[in-house]
Order: sequence, then C-alpha cells, then structure tokens
Amino acid sequence: MNTISFEWLLARRFLTENKGQTSIIVLGIAIGVAVMVFLTALIDGLQANLIQNTVGRSPHIVISSEENAAADALKTFDGEKVLLIDASQKTMRPIVEWRSLTNSLTGDSRIETVLPVVEGAGLIRHGQVNRSILLKGFDIRNGDRIYDISDSIIAGSQNVQEGAVLLGKDLAADLGVSAGEPIQLELSGREPLTVMIDGVFDLGVSSINQRWLIMDQRKAAALLGKGDRISTIEMQVYDVLEAENLAREWGTRLPDYQVKSWQESNASLLAALRSQSSSSYTIQVFVLLAVILGMASVLAISAVQKSKQIGILKAIGIRTGSVSRVFLYQGLVLGVAGTGLGFTMGLLMSQLFVVLAEQEYTLLVKPATAAIIISATVLASALSAYLPARQVSKIDPIEVIRNG
Amino acid sequence: MADVLIRTAGITKDYGNKVKTRVLFGIDLEFCAGEFTVMLGASGSGKSTLLNILGALDRSTEGDVFVNNTNLNSLDDDGLALFRNQTMGFIFQSHFLLPQFTVLENVLIPHMIYADRVNPTIEKRALELLDMVGISHRRDNRANAISGGEQQRAAIARALINRPRIILADEPTGNLDTANTEKVFSLLQSINREFKTTFIMVTHNSELAQRSDRYLVMSDGRILEDKYLNVKCLE
Repeated sequence: MNTISFEWLLARRFLTENKGQTSIIVLGIAIGVAVMVFLTALIDGLQANLIQNTVGRSPHIVISSEENAAADALKTFDGEKVLLIDASQKTMRPIVEWRSLTNSLTGDSRIETVLPVVEGAGLIRHGQVNRSILLKGFDIRNGDRIYDISDSIIAGSQNVQEGAVLLGKDLAADLGVSAGEPIQLELSGREPLTVMIDGVFDLGVSSINQRWLIMDQRKAAALLGKGDRISTIEMQVYDVLEAENLAREWGTRLPDYQVKSWQESNASLLAALRSQSSSSYTIQVFVLLAVILGMASVLAISAVQKSKQIGILKAIGIRTGSVSRVFLYQGLVLGVAGTGLGFTMGLLMSQLFVVLAEQEYTLLVKPATAAIIISATVLASALSAYLPARQVSKIDPIEVIRNG
Repeated sequence: MADVLIRTAGITKDYGNKVKTRVLFGIDLEFCAGEFTVMLGASGSGKSTLLNILGALDRSTEGDVFVNNTNLNSLDDDGLALFRNQTMGFIFQSHFLLPQFTVLENVLIPHMIYADRVNPTIEKRALELLDMVGISHRRDNRANAISGGEQQRAAIARALINRPRIILADEPTGNLDTANTEKVFSLLQSINREFKTTFIMVTHNSELAQRSDRYLVMSDGRILEDKYLNVKCLE
C-alpha cells in the first residue's frame, strides 16, 4: 500500500489535509527566499559589473622589477644608523630572462593571458603642442586579449597589422592628429624621430586615452634602446577575485620581482564592495529570521489543530519522538517546496528587473551563494519545527480521550 | 492461580494538586485470559479511570498494575507506548479514527506505528478484519465519510490489527442506536470467542452485563459487586 514510512505518510497527510494553510506558508517561505535570491543577484551582479568595469580591460596582475633609487647610504639619526630610502624614487629595472618567466607563467592553468610589455616615457610634438606620453610596446594580437584594442579602433584600419602604431583618442585630439598622419616622438636620451600614426583607439579609460602610444614590442624595445629586454609582464587571470592570492603566491616564487594584483591598487573599491556585501547579508539574515518565525507559528498552530489526532495516535502507541519527527518532516517539506518556488520567483524577479529597469548589467546568482540560501532555508525550516515538536510532546492521550 | 493476565494491587487515583480528590480507593482485581468482563456504574464512579489505568493510558497514584507479570509502573513513557501498541486494543465511545486516512489505512495505523511499513500479509489481515466487521466495501472511503456504526466497526478492526491479548472498550455502544449496539456487542463477543481476547468493557447498559462472563459494579471509586456468570479462570 504505502512504500514510505509512517512518519512521512502522516506528515504528508497533515500537510495535504489543509491545502490553503499549506499553500500560504509555502508562499511565505517562497517570498522570503525570492527576496534573498533577488538581493543577492542584484548585489553580486552589480559587484561583478563594477569589478569588470574596473579590471575588465586592464591587467589583473603586473610583474615588474623595481629597485629603489640608490640610497644615500647610511646616515646617523639620533645616534642610530639609518638607511634612508626614498620610496617614491623607484626605477624600473629591465627584465632580462622574460622568456623563461613568461613560459612558466603560461604553464599556470589559473592564468589566462601573459603579456610581456616594454614601456618608457616620452614626449610627442605636433605643431605647437607637446604632450608627455607612455610608450607601451607589446604583441598587439596577444594584447587584444587584455585590452581588446582591435575592437576599440575609432580611426584607421580595424584590421590592426603587426607593427602598427596606435594613439589614444584624447591624446590624438589634444595633438590634433589622426590616422595616417606623422608625429614627432622624443624618447629620453634618443634623437627625435618621426612616426606614422596607423590608428586611434578608445579604451574607455581616460588615463589611457590621454597618455598611451602603443606599438609592437620589438619596435618599442628598439626605440627605447632596451635590446631584448622588457619592462613588465601583464597578466589576466580566470578568477578575478583570486588575483590577489595568485599574486602573493607568485611573489614568493619570484622574490626578485614585484608582483602586484589589481586589488592592491583598488583597496577602497574593495572595501566598499565588502561593506555592501555585509549589509546585504544582514538583510538576508533578518529575512530568514522572519521566514523561520512565520513557519514556526504556522506549524505550532497546526500542532494545536492536530492535538486530538496526536492524542489518539499516542493512545494507540506512537512514541513522542516519532510525532516530533512528523513535524520536522512537515517543516522540511514546506522548506524544500518554499525554497524551490522562491528560487524560481527570485530568478524571474531578477530577469524582470533587468528588463524593466533597463539595467546594463546582468544579475548574477553564484552557485555557492545559491547553495547557501537553499541550505540555510531548508535547515531553518527544519529548525522551526522545534516549537511544535515540543508542543506535541506535552499532549496527554488521556486528556483527548476524556474530552472526546 | 494460573492464567491471570491482569492483576491490580491497591490502586488509588487522586486528581488535583492543591485540593486532592480521590476517585479510586485501593482496587484489587484479577482478570483472566479470555474473560469478557463488563464494568457497570454511575457516571463518576471511577470505572473509566480504572479502565484507563489498566490500559496504561493513565498512571495510578498508588498501587501497581501487573499485565502478564510486567509492572506497568516500571515502564517509561515510550515503554508504555510500545506496551499499548502491542498488548492492548482500545475501543472508545468516540471512534477516534483519523480523518486524514481511509478506513483501511486507519485499521493499519497501529501496525504502521510499530512496523513503519505495510506488507501484503498485514494488508490481507486488515481486509479480513474489515470483512469480519462487515465494512470491507468502505475500505477506501475516508474515515469521516462513513456512518457512525461503520466508524465504530472500523475502530474495532483497528483495535484488533496487532492481535492484542486485551481489548479495553469504554462505552463502545454509547453513541449507537439499539440495532447497531446489538451488532457491535455481538461482534465483540464473537471476537472474544474466536481469538480468546480478554475484554474489559465499560458500559451503562446492564442488559449487556448479563450476557458477559463477569460483571463488576463500581460506586464512588470502589468495587461494589463482582459477579461471575461464566468462570473461565483455571483454579
């Protein structure tokens, strides 16, 4: 007849007996879960979007070889000998063994792109205008994977050739040049030379658009007189948030180099994201608490409503623990049903929000967060059965029998 | 004396905490296996209280109840629950069926409480019992969708499912008309004869007492009369 245990059967019958009451509590849980899912999706989506905007088109980790400007040796200070170092005076030391370094970084499966970069400061003259620039030399094809330059060309051929010279949008506007025009480039300690601009790019970051002059790595190295050496290695990793740990790890493996993650340069953004997350968690905890209290009270009322039947069952031999479990199972069933419904509702709400509010970012439900919401709600549902379980343990069969 | 199934020794029962009211005064009784006993008495005479104590539904204030040489006072609540499930069958004035279950399921509940699941053997037995009480055509009806007489017969089938040695019945015909009273009482008597089940039945109907093996008359918490009409105990 029945293949499920008696306790489950009883829980099921108690739940289906009053379908209206059961539906209301499932809906109550569902709304709580939907709010949690929606809130999480909103906050996580917003944060992912912010992070993407911050680091999407920039290296997540940069390896450089800095050295402090020559210290003014030891000085006596209050009787102590102190090594005075001016931390702001750092000079970039070229990286010689960059090929082997690049190889071992490429071997790390967590790293998506490894881009050796030659860079140096300089000056561009065009007519009466002078602008200081940063010459960046790297393989354009490879660099596309970080900066997406090919898709950012606003003047000149979209099909960027190897060896092309590209100028930032704002810089080009300041200088009044466009693709196909020559400029005068002056690099420190070098003779001024004329360079033809092949294209103008807009990377969407004004500090880059105002200062960068991009060309091929070898060409840049030759112009800067670096020979076969490079300045930095730029990288993008698969998991943006892991960049800090990865940088620390590679930092220990490469003690001669500085390995810096994007997090180090964006500490205040991260702090803001963290406090946003914790306020979202606080709201969710209170939503969960409201769900628990609502469910506990409904189950407690149900226990009172069923006290006659529970008394009868006790008279014919059911144990108190067994009856308590019946309420635990009811809580679990309500929790699972409410969570399932609420999760779907939350996802729909999120989609609706994106469409109606015309948001540019997509809402994000991370599997880990989803797992936390689901398990917390289901666990809470089971916990909320504690109150009715205590109540039923006090039901005396003799009272029920005596009072009919 | 051989064959004594239930023995009480000096049972008293008090109600109330501050002001104590004694409703049973030192009851000493023995019930033999297979005996059909009827307990008579006015309302408030203590017969239902005594029945509940015998059935391990209530505890005595003083004195002991021995069933099959087990002192019920030595069992904890879970122990008493198992004892009630395995040894006792209850039939009350109200049928006390669970409305969430069908008639057949209600009959099976005492088994499911103990064994958790239903196997074909026990289902067959439940159907036989429904057949015996004459309501097998109602097996799939909800318990609240059948008549009062049918409900009481379903309750009888439920009391029998675990093959209890003792059936306690508290005014099982109290809510029934004359025709149904006759049907139910005859049914209980045939069960008593067929299965050798020990019956203790509380009733106001003195006519039924004349058709039992033994009747007890209670008054103010004491046994006023204890009369054997048919001695089944082996002396």
